[in-house]
Amino acid sequence: MNSTLVLMKNISKSFYGNKVNTDVEFKLEKGEIHALLGENGAGKTTLMNMLTGVYFPDEGSIYFKGKKITYNYPGEALKIGIGMVHQRFSLVGNLTVLENLILGHPDNKFILDLQKNRKLIQTYMDQFKFQVDLDAVVDELPLGLRQKVEILKMLVRNVDVLIVDEPTTVLTKQEADNLMRILKEIASTGKGIIFITHKMAEVLEVADKITVLRKGILVSTVNKTDTNAGELARMMVGKESELTFERPEVCLTKNFLQVKNLFVNSNKGVLAVNNLSFNLACGEVLGIAGVTGNGQIELANALTGNREVIRGKIIFKDKDIAHDTPVQRIDEGISYVPGDRVNVGVAGSRSVWENLIMKVYRKSEFKRGILIDNKKLKKYAEKIIEKYNIFLPGINLPALLLSGGNLQKLIIGREIERNCDLYIFVFPTRGLDVGATEFVRKSIMNLRNEGKAVLLISGDFDELFALSDRIAVMYEGKFTGVFNNGDHSLEEIGLMMSGHTEAEAVKEMSNV
Amino acid sequence: MFKIKLEQKERVSKREDIIITLSAIGIALVLSGIFIAFNGVNPFVALWKVFTSALGSPYGISETLVKAIPLIFTGLAVGIALNSKLWNIGAEGQLFAGATLATAFVIYGPVLPKPLELTVLVTLGAIGGALWAAIPALLKIKFKMNEVISTLLLNYVAINIADYFLFGPWKGKDNFPYTPEFPVEARFSRIGFGRVHAGLFLALALVVLLYILIYHTKTGYKLRMTGASLKAAKYAGINIKKMMFMVFLLSGALAGLAGVSQISGIEYKFHQHISTGYGYTGIIVAWLARTNPFIIVIFAVFLSIMLKGADSLQIAMRLPAAVGTVMQALILFAILGSELFKNYNIKLIRGK
Repeated sequence: MNSTLVLMKNISKSFYGNKVNTDVEFKLEKGEIHALLGENGAGKTTLMNMLTGVYFPDEGSIYFKGKKITYNYPGEALKIGIGMVHQRFSLVGNLTVLENLILGHPDNKFILDLQKNRKLIQTYMDQFKFQVDLDAVVDELPLGLRQKVEILKMLVRNVDVLIVDEPTTVLTKQEADNLMRILKEIASTGKGIIFITHKMAEVLEVADKITVLRKGILVSTVNKTDTNAGELARMMVGKESELTFERPEVCLTKNFLQVKNLFVNSNKGVLAVNNLSFNLACGEVLGIAGVTGNGQIELANALTGNREVIRGKIIFKDKDIAHDTPVQRIDEGISYVPGDRVNVGVAGSRSVWENLIMKVYRKSEFKRGILIDNKKLKKYAEKIIEKYNIFLPGINLPALLLSGGNLQKLIIGREIERNCDLYIFVFPTRGLDVGATEFVRKSIMNLRNEGKAVLLISGDFDELFALSDRIAVMYEGKFTGVFNNGDHSLEEIGLMMSGHTEAEAVKEMSNV
Repeated sequence: MFKIKLEQKERVSKREDIIITLSAIGIALVLSGIFIAFNGVNPFVALWKVFTSALGSPYGISETLVKAIPLIFTGLAVGIALNSKLWNIGAEGQLFAGATLATAFVIYGPVLPKPLELTVLVTLGAIGGALWAAIPALLKIKFKMNEVISTLLLNYVAINIADYFLFGPWKGKDNFPYTPEFPVEARFSRIGFGRVHAGLFLALALVVLLYILIYHTKTGYKLRMTGASLKAAKYAGINIKKMMFMVFLLSGALAGLAGVSQISGIEYKFHQHISTGYGYTGIIVAWLARTNPFIIVIFAVFLSIMLKGADSLQIAMRLPAAVGTVMQALILFAILGSELFKNYNIKLIRGK
């Protein structure tokens, strides 16, 4: 028996003259978890999009179970047994889990027997040892569960090859661990799994084989047992990055920002920030840790005026700004680097320069009578591009053409140039490659050392530990602990993230 | 056997964009030709007739321009809304609302000296259209009601209100549903080229003003950002609800001006047929022109050639009146269909 599921040979693909994949070879065996490792833009997703028929390779051929395949439409991949779970989920939000799972399932022809389907799906969940409430409405599920539904959807279609694209970016540590367990379970049944990621730890935990891509070129395929994190990192980036920062005392105003008994609702009208009070000094980074959906985003939006404050005070530079408009906050010197950089941080279909002037176009220096001086504004934009070394195809072309790292450079450059007093970062390095991540973290540190107040909402503990002066753990709209960076271990913080108080967490850990 | 494959494009170049749009228009003309052939008329003769009747004589050109004037107004109206990704399907109703309000002044108000009278009429026309557009704007902002539905349905309401006045208080002496003729003071002057009137200058001036507004002012920047992404605009501190409301008012005002230009420029009275669907044709104009005011002029003229040509086909070749509508519809379909070619690469692949 031939145990090779997928063989991709000499694959090349380019977009508008940019080679995204060059002569790549990739092989997947039965029962194997094969990690596809590389920085953003290394060509991982493109390679997999060719395997699933979304794109066609310019050169090379793809074999599935020994047979050469050419696709006629993207749906064909799923039909022959290759399924992909994308970074952006493709579930229907207002349908239940069960309805999503059977949507478009080829076995349901004309009559839809819900009970039969339910039983069938249950057998799959039993086989792979995980449970999802089939009657829950997808919109109400946390992201971790939605992802399970996506995976289950593929399993129910009996795929032989399951591709998961950056599955842990939206997950908490616990959810990610759970996912790894499920993936191992699936692989043990003889299915092949391709795991696209740029996180070394995950690769070493779960993968059997690792293929590293860099700039669209195959660097190497290695067995996990033959390698280590250091070697993988070198293959991935060609350099090693370890960040340590000086943190001088630069500013002593403790109450630069004072939040007092703040109440904020979520989109659904539920209390998301619940009687929250804290202080932030200038020249300080306050890191906010927490599982996604515990009110962090609502807090950031309330501070920037993008969400209504129900009750409470936000005293900034000795003035209550809780009910000021977003534009007033911009003028008061509050800067916001949103977590959703693609949809909120820029208007993707507008040009790069229009996006760079987003917060300064109203200033009198750009006025020309009743008109605005486009030339001057463009010059302003060009200056930022040069200063922050933003790589782009053209200043007049849409911002959506920029890669993730360059887009974040654009946003952060734009915000730093405004010279604000309070900077709020939300997941500032999520999904970025090593180089861009380093840029972002250095920028945050520079801001702190210039005496700016920084609020850093993040899910990345390397980042929180490297940058924060103090860390606050947010759970259900409240802080379960606020402490100096270094006072608590990762495990203790993990407990606080699930609702334990600081004292409880310490006690629990000392019992272990 | 050949198989067709679609592959998503990263972006479309300007050149490609223009070529695809022109090809779509070409295909629409070919399809129109087939439709005409089914009616027993040589399509080449008919299409030739369309262009010669619209452009082949000074009279034809002047009549084409007469139709282009309201189309520039309604094209601008729909286009400015499209700039903010708002769909104003209600230009037709706003046109009638503007015409109704302006007519009310002619009937009930004093007769002022001509410049003053026309200024008042133009202002009232704009206000009438803007007020009518304010309804769907408020419904959208307060209750998130889809503006496509509300603007479309309000057309019928506006037209019925106009009918009420035309069949009621404003009925002419001979009992027909149209107002008495407007006094000379309430008429736009002709510019000495057929029925082409001074409304053309107003339209062209607005084209320039709107271009400046959209691309060279703070408001225009806000408008572009709001159209590109509501979330990003909000993040940039733009009051998107205010922007939407303002855009709707402006859009309605422009459509209202189309109404005034018809009653004061062409008809010299208000009746049921002051618009032959200019509000709807304006949607096609704006969609073709992709919101740039100068390009709106080009496509307004192009569609008025179609309208004028279709009129002649009716008279000279005894083709049904529907020919004009069918041609417009085919052009719109072809343009909408051509979006596929802008968003995807189409590959022909030799299959087994």
